Amino acid sequence: MANVDDRHDLISEVDHEVNPGPMNIQFDSSDLRSKRPFYIEPTNIVNVNDVIQRVSDHASALNKRIHYYSRLSTPADTALIAPDHVVPAPEECYVYSPLGSAYKLQSYTEGHGKNTSLVTIFMIWNTMMGTSILSIPWGIKQAGFTTGMCVILLMGLLTLYCCYRVVKSRSMICSLNTTTWEYPDVCRYYFGSFGQWSSLLCSLVSLIGAMIVYWVLMSNFLFNTGKFIFNFIHHINDTDTLLRINNSNPVICPSAGSGGHPDNDSMAFYTNDTEVQQFEKWWSRSRTVPFYLVGLLLPLLNFKSPSFFSKFNILGTVSVIYLIFLVTLKAIQLGFHLEFHWFVPTEFFVPEIRFQFPQLTGVLTLAFFIHNCIITLLKNNKNQENNVRDLCIAYMLVTLTYLYIGVLVFASFPSPPLSKECIEQNFLDNFPSSDILSFVGRIFLLFQIMTVYPLLGYLARVQLLGHLFGDIYPSVFHVLVLNVIIVGAGVVMACFYPNIGGIIRYSGAACGLAFVFIYPSLIYIISLHQEERLTWPKLILHVFIIILGLANLIAQFFM
Amino acid sequence: MPNTAMKKKVLLMGKSGSGKTSMRSIIFANYIARDTRRLGATIDVEHSHVRFLGNLVLNLWDCGGQDTFMENYFTSQRDNIFRNVEVLIYVFDVESRELEKDMHYYQSCLEAILQNSPDAKIFCLVHKMDLVQEDQRDLIFKEREEDLRRLSRPLECACFRTSIWDETLYKAWSSIVYQLIPNVQQLEMNLRNFAQIIEADEVLLFERATFLVISHYQCREQRDVHRFEKISNIIKQFKLSCSKLAASFQSMEVRNSNFAAFIDIFTSNTYVMVVMSDPSIPSAATLINIRNARKHFEKLERVDGPKHSLLMR
Repeated sequence: MANVDDRHDLISEVDHEVNPGPMNIQFDSSDLRSKRPFYIEPTNIVNVNDVIQRVSDHASALNKRIHYYSRLSTPADTALIAPDHVVPAPEECYVYSPLGSAYKLQSYTEGHGKNTSLVTIFMIWNTMMGTSILSIPWGIKQAGFTTGMCVILLMGLLTLYCCYRVVKSRSMICSLNTTTWEYPDVCRYYFGSFGQWSSLLCSLVSLIGAMIVYWVLMSNFLFNTGKFIFNFIHHINDTDTLLRINNSNPVICPSAGSGGHPDNDSMAFYTNDTEVQQFEKWWSRSRTVPFYLVGLLLPLLNFKSPSFFSKFNILGTVSVIYLIFLVTLKAIQLGFHLEFHWFVPTEFFVPEIRFQFPQLTGVLTLAFFIHNCIITLLKNNKNQENNVRDLCIAYMLVTLTYLYIGVLVFASFPSPPLSKECIEQNFLDNFPSSDILSFVGRIFLLFQIMTVYPLLGYLARVQLLGHLFGDIYPSVFHVLVLNVIIVGAGVVMACFYPNIGGIIRYSGAACGLAFVFIYPSLIYIISLHQEERLTWPKLILHVFIIILGLANLIAQFFM
Repeated sequence: MPNTAMKKKVLLMGKSGSGKTSMRSIIFANYIARDTRRLGATIDVEHSHVRFLGNLVLNLWDCGGQDTFMENYFTSQRDNIFRNVEVLIYVFDVESRELEKDMHYYQSCLEAILQNSPDAKIFCLVHKMDLVQEDQRDLIFKEREEDLRRLSRPLECACFRTSIWDETLYKAWSSIVYQLIPNVQQLEMNLRNFAQIIEADEVLLFERATFLVISHYQCREQRDVHRFEKISNIIKQFKLSCSKLAASFQSMEVRNSNFAAFIDIFTSNTYVMVVMSDPSIPSAATLINIRNARKHFEKLERVDGPKHSLLMR
């Protein structure tokens, strides 16, 4: 009997690229139901004389039916896929090996993964922990200490509620099969192609914003690393031209001496050494180092598949843990310096309540942002009923981490000689390049960012080119143009506006407006209205959330 | 006197979403060319250009869409649709919440049939029975059957319960086809003679387009009661693969140490499958027998009167 099983050679298969989210690449398996294994008749394999009736005729007939029906439609069409109630339960299925043995399948269910709660919580925490952690102390400084802590807690709760809305959004759609849907698909269901385009736009804003921040940071870290190595080789001690503490735990205030721009470097002041001057000329934070990175990273962006880089995901966790350790050590060495002045700034301290707190909320919108890939992350949770609980625990851990680092850096910043206003948008900038601990931290972060950068570029490319041209790799030319634009934006920002706090808060507020505030609330209101369960309190509450999101964005421009 | 040269229709009707397209695709082994979850009712009639049981053409209609435009179109084309109908197969979705409406449309179809093709045979399929719990299936089907019988008077209708996920669909369509063959008893007798002469274990006669079993003879108890449907599905699957290579299936021989089976074109509308359990008989002998029998059976088909135009060329 001719066994024509290689039809796949004859049908052109549609390539389905699954795109789960910005920070954590998981290449999802497609709908399991269409690939369900089933009974292979032993008569096809063994000598027909000793056929032992292993499976009922009914199941065998159903098997043939399913085989036949699967040839009648494309894999994407779900009309002829066997529903759960006709197929034998997974416990009754055996996979029959041609070598003569049969084994039972491990039980699987639709879309449920094998991750325990702990792994899921860790993955959510890991994905949310971005480099916005470096700007939290600055944000607290901008908002005032008390206000800052309250804002962090409240923003955490608010974004957690919106995330909960995102997770529950699919369950409100009863008429369609939503198991493979991500949040942009839900937006498209409710808002049509406007929803699709706007969610694409916001996703791109967050991705490209992140990539620009990464470029600025990479330039910064590379510059400091290079300077450290140069100083170490030439035994130069760059000391006291900048405002600093004169002990073994140096903390510097880079903006003080040069009127706000931390990139005029110290060594130009005191040495006539031509070698050093040459080095200064060729190794400048805002003039040359951003361009050196182009040669390194632009080729990496053109790779078709970044799965190689996803292997380095663990570096992110290591970096964050190292930062926690670094901050703790510095706090122990420097001690706490806190004074509480409520409304009036003093020479060294900032007031507890300041009107620039929207800058902190802008940073936090991006810091707590996971809404476009939370569905995918929770899909692999083994016990789906624990999804909400695990999400809350993950958010709590993230909030604690941010609070810990923010409060410790702020509190331990040595205020009598230096003013709290000196806390930089990247708190590592407050440590001189000769400090060993921060040097190690910068190296970790540099490598980690270098491995995440191509992943983000890949995601941006998939989303933008996929929607514009239908093909995620239309030609080398298209991809190159896109990469040059993205890299160019990063280089320009690194040269002229290297304030990561500013970039983070603008892009965070912009993309958070759609995904965090508007869409979850609006979709909830609409679905309740369709089910006629909308009450006035719920309506008012969610409209209030939308207004908060809008205020968040508008305030970024005025405060 | 019906014009025997004109194509007669088999109407497959039912509410939008009741499963007609899937059913047609499965029975006739057509690809489902587009998403069957259509959002609107079928405006166009769907012709399948398949010679089904001779000169029958299958027409697929959606009945009772929400659109008033659809209804108007339907009523204005009514005579056109319901003329020259040989068979009406009406599909009911067992899960439908609008029983009154379904019955109403069914009755208007019956009226049109009564006016235009009063000799047509009516079959009602209560479909998607797999969605009903097993212990309630008989009860629900009996209820529906009584209602339908009552509503169809003075016309006679035969009711079947079907689901694409078990053997009931195949059996229902086999019964329908069986009832459409006028001289089926004579056919079976001839088939038995043929089988005994060539010493076959089992001989099956399939309809050509759908591989539905028209009649069969077996001289021994066979173990697998689902074998007809399984063979039908296997061959239809093979036909699909052949068609991708722009080839058409003609005949097949399967042989091992225990048996030999031959599937071959028989008459203009049928295929035959001969199963011999004595593998020592050479294939050539069986093939010659089949060839000779072919001529005999074709004569049988042509002998039928002009009124039963089904199996005529």
